[in-house]
Amino acid sequence: MAEAFTGPLERLDSCRWRIPRSYKPGMRVDGLIYADDVLIDHIRGDRSPEQVANVACLPGIVKYSLAMPDIHWGYGFCIGGVAATDPGQGGVISPGGVGYDINCGVRLIRTDLRISDVKPRLEKLVNALFANVPCGVGQGGRIKFRKADLARLLEDGSPVVVRQHGLGWESDLEVTEAGGCIPGARPDYVSDTAYERGAPQCGTLGSGNHFMEVQVVDHVDDAHAAQVMGLEEGIVTVMIHSGSRGLGYQVCEDFLKVLQDVPRKYGIDLPDRQLVCAPVHSPEGQRYLGAMRAAANYAWCNRQIMTHLARQVFAAVFEAPAERLGMHLVYDVAHNIAKMEPYDVDGRATELCVHRKGATRAFPPGHPELPPRYRGIGQPVLVPGDMGRASYVLVGLPGSMDHTFGSCCHGAGRMMSRGAAIRASKGRSIHRELLDRGVIARARGRTGLEEEQPDAYKDVTQVVSVLHEAGISRKVARLRPVGVIKG
Amino acid sequence: MAPGFEFFDHTADLGIRVFALDRWALVPAAVEALYAAIGELVPGRDGEAAGFTFVGTAAASLLRDFMAELLVAFETRAIMLTDVSVRVFEDDRLEVGGSFRPVDHDRSVLLREVKAITYHELSLEKTGAGWEARIIIDI
Repeated sequence: MAEAFTGPLERLDSCRWRIPRSYKPGMRVDGLIYADDVLIDHIRGDRSPEQVANVACLPGIVKYSLAMPDIHWGYGFCIGGVAATDPGQGGVISPGGVGYDINCGVRLIRTDLRISDVKPRLEKLVNALFANVPCGVGQGGRIKFRKADLARLLEDGSPVVVRQHGLGWESDLEVTEAGGCIPGARPDYVSDTAYERGAPQCGTLGSGNHFMEVQVVDHVDDAHAAQVMGLEEGIVTVMIHSGSRGLGYQVCEDFLKVLQDVPRKYGIDLPDRQLVCAPVHSPEGQRYLGAMRAAANYAWCNRQIMTHLARQVFAAVFEAPAERLGMHLVYDVAHNIAKMEPYDVDGRATELCVHRKGATRAFPPGHPELPPRYRGIGQPVLVPGDMGRASYVLVGLPGSMDHTFGSCCHGAGRMMSRGAAIRASKGRSIHRELLDRGVIARARGRTGLEEEQPDAYKDVTQVVSVLHEAGISRKVARLRPVGVIKG
Repeated sequence: MAPGFEFFDHTADLGIRVFALDRWALVPAAVEALYAAIGELVPGRDGEAAGFTFVGTAAASLLRDFMAELLVAFETRAIMLTDVSVRVFEDDRLEVGGSFRPVDHDRSVLLREVKAITYHELSLEKTGAGWEARIIIDI
């Protein structure tokens, strides 16, 4: 297991801990970790704070190297990390700040169904989702795309899937981050191998921590925001967590190799070679950004297709069209991505490259990028927890723009390794334990439920509470799982 | 010491420690470890000859590149490398041959999807007892 972090963590207030710039040579800014007293003890247990300090060494980094309360050890950047760089000051883009699963993200679909309507058919529903939404190793998508079609998806994102393939509703696009398409995608920068990996996988869940969950809204904190999102206590929702599948993994793999010698070329000293990067404005940086955006667009298509499949399943099980079941998309948000976003830095309007690796965008009310429906309440932030306890819907607050470059946590954060989780499951039936909590679970892989058991994660309530208290986001609703499918 | 491997813990992912008496023997053990991470894979019949050459500046990276190539082959063509023979394994060059055979899905058990072979904490070194490589795979 990883060694504990022994460097300085200075408490700033009840939610924030500072790693001072003086901690190691090369740090250009302080590190700042959001956590309470309990979470910080977990965080000290691995080397993720060291990674926060390493990221603080990146050229052009602005204000802080940030970490959310769900931080844990990652590659180069920690998971739960946020870093904004200023291209005008030599700021860099780093694939390690995005991760292998480009635009891994979450979407939430609400329904008019109440839990009392669903319970009698819950098992049938979960079985039908498991049978119809491809998940697990080697499961191909229901819809096959030729290379030219795939290139269109990479360039133009989920609008293509909705408008040309009829796999969704126009209203889905309004409530998908960036409308489901980041401009500037370059499908021609994506390798043939990435195409080969991605072609059969669009519309598949994958495995690991990816899931599709049937949930019930079991508590509402902010009635007005919940109402705007179409959420109320007792209704059923569907949450999808997945990303860009093999295509995105391969884009990351390709560019980690391509960029290996690039820091030397630009005279960039790095404390960890996994932070390989290139100046945003360099040809190499632009090439990665173009390919990364293409993979991000693929991920939105992937989640859009699974939304279509989920609607088909609900329609069949409840014998009514999805429109009549009120299956509207609440929101879709990325949590592994780098985006160019405008910020005020020391009174100067500046476009920054914001890396969010295991961190969710959380724009406040009034932000021009929000769909009109959410401008009054702020951006919905979707935070999956674990399959036994809860997930949360939050909204972004002005504090996010002031302190975290419009960012928030992305989940509960893993606490136990996969091996430890399997060992902790010896002699137990996780399937049975979930059933006792009222959750019907189906998993393709034999150890999937053990590795992803609830105890492997931090308590998501504690994680979101830190950011609620810090004024970064506000709780809107808690969602309790009742059915889950996994790879 | 017989060549072999073991998994070690990493927060969200999986670590592989491969060990052998000599550097060359690390390669087939690493292949075995990769497939064991994915599941209990059984090769089918009718193999096709396969050969790989990697050049670079570090043996650990060459081994990683080779494993990444096998991962892509598994994912895109459902094939696995058997009868692994190492022709060259120096700091700057790795040459491996073998036979690609289709995975027999009826007799195999798939456990988890491997996203990538990472550079994280990647190492390959001589130890007191032989040679050891450590590779972390992204799950």
